[in-house]
Amino acid sequence: MAFRHKNTRRIEGLDSNVWVEFTKLAADPSVVNLGQGLPDISPPSYVKEELAKAAAVDRLNQYTRGFGHPSLVKVLSQVYERVCGRKIDPLTDILVTVGAYGSLFSTIQALIEEGDEVIIIEPFYDSYEPMVKMAGAKPVFIPLRYVSTFLKIISELANKFNSKTKAIILNTPHNPIGKVFTREELQVIADLCIKHDTLCISDEVYEWLVYTGNKHIKIATLPGMWERTITIGSAGKTYSVTGWKLGWSIGPQNLIKHLQVVHQNTLYTCPTPLQEALAQAFWIDYKRMDDPDCYFYSLSRELESKRDRMAQLLQEAGLNPIIPDGGYFMIVDVSTLNVDLSDVDEKQPYDYKFVKWMITSKKLSAIPLSAFCGPETKRQLEKYIRFCFIKKDSTLDAAEVILKNWVKQTA
Amino acid sequence: MLRRAGPSLRHFLLERKSSAGYSSYSSEATMSRPVQARRLEGIDKNIWVEFVKLAATYSTVNLGQGFPDFPPPDFLKEAFVRALSGENHLTHQYTRAFGHPPLVKILAQFYGKLLGRDLDPMTNVMVTVGAYQALFCCFQAFVDEGDEVIIIEPFFDCYEPMVKMAGGTPVFVPLTPKAPKDGKLMSSADWQLDPAELASKFSERTKAIVLNSPNNPLGKVFSRGELELIADLCVKHDTLCISDEVYEWLVYDGKEHVRIASLQGMWDRTVMIGSAGKTFSATGWKVGWIVGPNRLLQHLRTVHQNSVYHCATAAQEAVAQGFQRELELYGKADSYFVQLPGVLQQKRDWLVQSLDAVGMKPIVPEGTYFLVADISEFKSDIPDVPNSDEPYDSRFAKWMVKNKGLAAIPLSGFYCEAHKNTYSHFVRFCFAKEETTLKAASDILQKWKREKSSP
Repeated sequence: MAFRHKNTRRIEGLDSNVWVEFTKLAADPSVVNLGQGLPDISPPSYVKEELAKAAAVDRLNQYTRGFGHPSLVKVLSQVYERVCGRKIDPLTDILVTVGAYGSLFSTIQALIEEGDEVIIIEPFYDSYEPMVKMAGAKPVFIPLRYVSTFLKIISELANKFNSKTKAIILNTPHNPIGKVFTREELQVIADLCIKHDTLCISDEVYEWLVYTGNKHIKIATLPGMWERTITIGSAGKTYSVTGWKLGWSIGPQNLIKHLQVVHQNTLYTCPTPLQEALAQAFWIDYKRMDDPDCYFYSLSRELESKRDRMAQLLQEAGLNPIIPDGGYFMIVDVSTLNVDLSDVDEKQPYDYKFVKWMITSKKLSAIPLSAFCGPETKRQLEKYIRFCFIKKDSTLDAAEVILKNWVKQTA
Repeated sequence: MLRRAGPSLRHFLLERKSSAGYSSYSSEATMSRPVQARRLEGIDKNIWVEFVKLAATYSTVNLGQGFPDFPPPDFLKEAFVRALSGENHLTHQYTRAFGHPPLVKILAQFYGKLLGRDLDPMTNVMVTVGAYQALFCCFQAFVDEGDEVIIIEPFFDCYEPMVKMAGGTPVFVPLTPKAPKDGKLMSSADWQLDPAELASKFSERTKAIVLNSPNNPLGKVFSRGELELIADLCVKHDTLCISDEVYEWLVYDGKEHVRIASLQGMWDRTVMIGSAGKTFSATGWKVGWIVGPNRLLQHLRTVHQNSVYHCATAAQEAVAQGFQRELELYGKADSYFVQLPGVLQQKRDWLVQSLDAVGMKPIVPEGTYFLVADISEFKSDIPDVPNSDEPYDSRFAKWMVKNKGLAAIPLSGFYCEAHKNTYSHFVRFCFAKEETTLKAASDILQKWKREKSSP
């Protein structure tokens, strides 16, 4: 009998994934991996110690509260009350999820469905598009234009809103470009959300990683926005522990309650010892939020110097990187390297072919920028690749050697 | 939050009513509609949210929610500490999305041995955030709108809302109790499917059947014959089998846990779900897995990579080491998979005796760490409320935790809405508890019996 069990409609066409493809290639230990956003610096020691402590407590090896471990949601409410300047109820306004990824999924499954349109600003963290599609909705793309200010495209953005627009996904600081949206830019978005009665899904996982001269502003704090915004955060990015896979959604009860329904019907509860350890780490930093040694600020300073070093390495190689104002990624146009890949007959965009070639022949990995683009923009950005610089000095040293040799060879 | 009525209008802030449906939804773009997606309709209630809160507030002895109050074994805790310490900082960073390599390798080896098959760790195994997320991936990957999914009652409560969230239609078929032999206590084996009734539930719309053996809440361990019955129907109707086997090691009295995937014609259509939480008494780690053929696993991977993508690394590393140890000790007296059921069987027997001694009639479970008991003898303290929406056993369980401090879960929680009142006088106890806890439970029951006997 022919096997009739194929995939459901909701996942049709969603099977490929840039990370699955490229992490496999970069897994070769001889490759200097500046691809996936994975720190190779150590998390702060007190974070690791708190996990070891939590693991030793018997009851912390069993189920905790489904929507978030009590001590964790309590400290998150304190931290974010301070940041947002408003009262946040730990039990009703917060959901703890499996990474910010899980928060994106819960938010989209809870609030987006067939017939909805969701505005996505390009380039975008790649999961937004398949998640919106899996919810049966239509992604509507709008590109950030390089060098122009966002304000210049407000009419373009306004045109994307219509009566079907359920939400706009905002990512600030932005992956992959590293843009930190200004108050004026956020106000433009907020005005449109209010005018069109649209939700805002604000992915702020890099919220602490903003560099000198920039300030991270939460769109939920703008007038009229708290009641329509879900703000997403990440332990992985806050504490350099991507392997803990803990994130959170914060918002008004009447929205968060729907995310909680999704959560109780998808994985029910997140791991306990990790949540307890994260809570304790947060308490430590909450108490020193006025102190420059607070990890939220010290990590940012550490990364700013790595950013500057990365930029220098690329510039010395004759490249022109786009210097990010936040986050730990840097994009660069590689067309000046003039690598001819026309004989590689895959139907992939140039940057996919370039990165694969760079991995095998230069032992340096990155991520192709077209992975972060919708179908119409892929070709426009196919000469760009993304480097991750949350790497220890020896990794950046190794990258420097490769780039120097590369320059020598082409000279 | 409001929806599209042109300029925002506060009075459109709609609260979802329970089952009124979306009657106000029209194709006119200007109509307001609820903010939440329709896939959430009817799945917002959850028995655990309510009963876990009650237990936390009132209980002195918690035999309700299914988790051990004893710790995971030392070797597992040590493995976790090892994973965290040392030079390997990658423990705190992303691992392979579909499962940490050491873990999927050992799972492939272990289950390969059990099934007598060569399993590829990269394509036949996927790691999930607990068995709960494994179930979610299965329904999302295989159940489309209009598909039917057969669920055997009583069932672990999440199956129904997960099927609904995927747009499917749950079709229920009951286990019904046959009277036990004279003088004997009822066993979970006495609860059986009617073969003709089961067969009648299969239609051309049937996408899958969910099998849970050993069964939560009854503790039934489906026999080879019962599984063959189900397998034959699956093959005949080309149906998938979602096999929730989280309690696979917790079988008593020398009974065998038969894996339906090992039966004729079943490997290609079965996804088998397991849980580190239940296997290693570490429910708070939330590490689960699915084993099956690549042509089914590939779709589970698609759901997984679009929903959580990765599972936490450190616990996977520790579970991998736990399994390594168990592979080496397989079948030996020192194996945790031998010791744990041994210990739990004693606890089961102890609780059975305690309940029987006070007049609560236990259904002796063949497996799992749950036991269902008939509480009819204790009904006098909790009067019936005619025309109540709430099933009697639920009111009983709430009264018991508030007034006696003993937490249990009403059996109606494991039935669909339409069948909640099929049985009104059963509650489920969890006996994966320290001796002191079980003794304290017995004391409460003894005292209650004495008090209720007095006029």
